[in-house]
Amino acid sequence: MKLLRQTLLLLRKDLLLELRRHESLMTMFFFGALLLFVFNFSFELTPARVSELAPGLLWLAFLFTGTLGLTQLFEGERGNHCLDALLMSPIDRGALFLAKTCFNIVLMGLVELVVMPLFWILFSLPSWQPLPALFLIVFLGNVGFCVLGTILAAVTLKARARELLLPLVLFPLMVPVILATIRCMEALLRFGELGDALPWLRLLIGFDVIFLTVGILIFDWVVDV
Amino acid sequence: MPQVTGKKRKGILGAATLVFIIAGLYWGLVKAPPDAYQGDSQRIMYLHIPSILTAYLSFFLVFLGSCLYLWKREKRDDSLAHAAAEIGVLFTALTIIEGSIWGRPTWGVWWTWDARLTLTAILLLIFIGYLMLRALVEDESRAASSAAILGIIGFLDIPLIHMSVYWWRTLHQPPSILRPDKVPWENIHPELLTALAINFVAFVLLYFYLLSHRLRLSEMREEIKSRRMN
Amino acid sequence: MVMWGYVILAYGIVWGAILLYTLSLKRRCRAAENELQRLGARKES
Repeated sequence: MKLLRQTLLLLRKDLLLELRRHESLMTMFFFGALLLFVFNFSFELTPARVSELAPGLLWLAFLFTGTLGLTQLFEGERGNHCLDALLMSPIDRGALFLAKTCFNIVLMGLVELVVMPLFWILFSLPSWQPLPALFLIVFLGNVGFCVLGTILAAVTLKARARELLLPLVLFPLMVPVILATIRCMEALLRFGELGDALPWLRLLIGFDVIFLTVGILIFDWVVDV
Repeated sequence: MPQVTGKKRKGILGAATLVFIIAGLYWGLVKAPPDAYQGDSQRIMYLHIPSILTAYLSFFLVFLGSCLYLWKREKRDDSLAHAAAEIGVLFTALTIIEGSIWGRPTWGVWWTWDARLTLTAILLLIFIGYLMLRALVEDESRAASSAAILGIIGFLDIPLIHMSVYWWRTLHQPPSILRPDKVPWENIHPELLTALAINFVAFVLLYFYLLSHRLRLSEMREEIKSRRMN
Repeated sequence: MVMWGYVILAYGIVWGAILLYTLSLKRRCRAAENELQRLGARKES
C-alpha cells in the first residue's frame, strides 16, 4: 500500500535523525524523571496512597512530557524550507500525518517504558504484576494523545506563543482519553482486571480510531501553505 | 448573504427579540409559580437551559462554518465560524455563571464538578482555545484554516467528552449528589413550561440577532480592508 | 427571601452582560460604518 510505504519512509527518516541527535528523547526522559521527583515533594505519597494516586500522577507526567515532544515535532523541518519541500513532493499528506504521529508515539512509548518502572521503584509500589497491562492502557492513551497532538501541533505551527497555545487547545480535547485511561488503570491496580472499566477501554479505542481516521483525511488542509 | 444582513430584516428580528425577551422576563419572574422543590431559584433555569442550548447551537455553527470554509474557501464561511465562536463564548460563560448561582441555594456550594457544569466548563475552554488560535496566528488565511481544523476536531470530540464526563460522574458518585442533576419533567407545571419555551425562543432570536450584526461587522471590515488596498 | 437575591443576581449578570456585548457590537459597527464612509468619500474626491 502506497500510504503505508510512504509513512514508513518518513518515519524511518525521523527515527534516524532522532537516533543521531537524541534531542527530543533525552529531554523527554529527563523531564519525566524530574517530574517524579517533584511529585515526591508535592504529595504525601505513603504506600497506602500511592497506588490510588499512581494513575493520575503518571498521566500528569506523560501529558507534560508528551507536550514537550509535540512542540519539537516539526523542528526537524524548520530550517532550509524542508517542510515546504515535503509538501510540494508527491507524498500523500496522510502519510506525513501518520509518520509524525507514529514518531511521537514511539518517543512517548520509550519514555513510558522507562518512567513507569522508575515510578514503581521510587515509590515502592507493592506489586509489579499489573505493569504490562498498565503499559498497554497507557500506550492506547498515548496513541490518542499523539494523534490529536500531531494535528494540533501542525495547526499551531505558525502561531505566536506556540508552546503555550498548543497545550491550551489540546488539553480540553484530551478529557475523554485522560478519564478513560485513568479509570482503566485504577481498575487494573485495584482489582487486577478491567471488569467494570471495560466501557472505558472501548471509549479509548474508539477515540483513537476516530481521530486517527480524521487525521489522515484532514491533514491535507492542515499544513496548507 | 446580503439579505440576511439587510437592515429591514435586522430591524424586524431585533423587534421580535425584544418582545420575546420582555415576555420571557414577565413569564419567568412573575407569572410562573415557584417550583415545589427548588422555590424561586428555579427561575434561574429559565436562563440556564436556553443558554446552554444556544451555546451548543453556537458550536454547531462553528463546525458548519469550518467545514464550508475548508471546502469552498469563501471568506463568509470563516466569518460565520468566527462570529459564532465569539457569541458562543459569551453564552457559554453565562451558562456557567447561571449554573453556579443556581447551585448555591440548591446544593450550598458555588461550584461542583457535576456533569453539566464540568461539560460547560470544557466547552468554554475549547471556545477560548479556538479564539486564541485565531488571534495568535499571523497570516489571515492560515488563521482561518487552522481555526477551521480546530473547529471540526472540537465538534467531533464533544460527544466523546460528553460520554466520558457523564460516565465519570454517574459511575463514581453516590446517588445523593446525582439527584439535583435530574430535572423532574414528569409533573412539571404547564406555566413553568410556557416560561421556559418563551425564554428559549427569546434566546434563539437574540442569538441570531447578535450573529447577524457580528457578521455585518466582519463584512464591513473586509470591505474596509479591500478599499484600503486600492 | 434569600432565593430572590440569587435570582436577581443571575438575571442581572446575564442581561447586563448581553446588553454590554450588544452595545459593544453596535459601537464597533458604527466605527466600521464611519470608516467605510470616510474611505468612500476619499475615493470619490
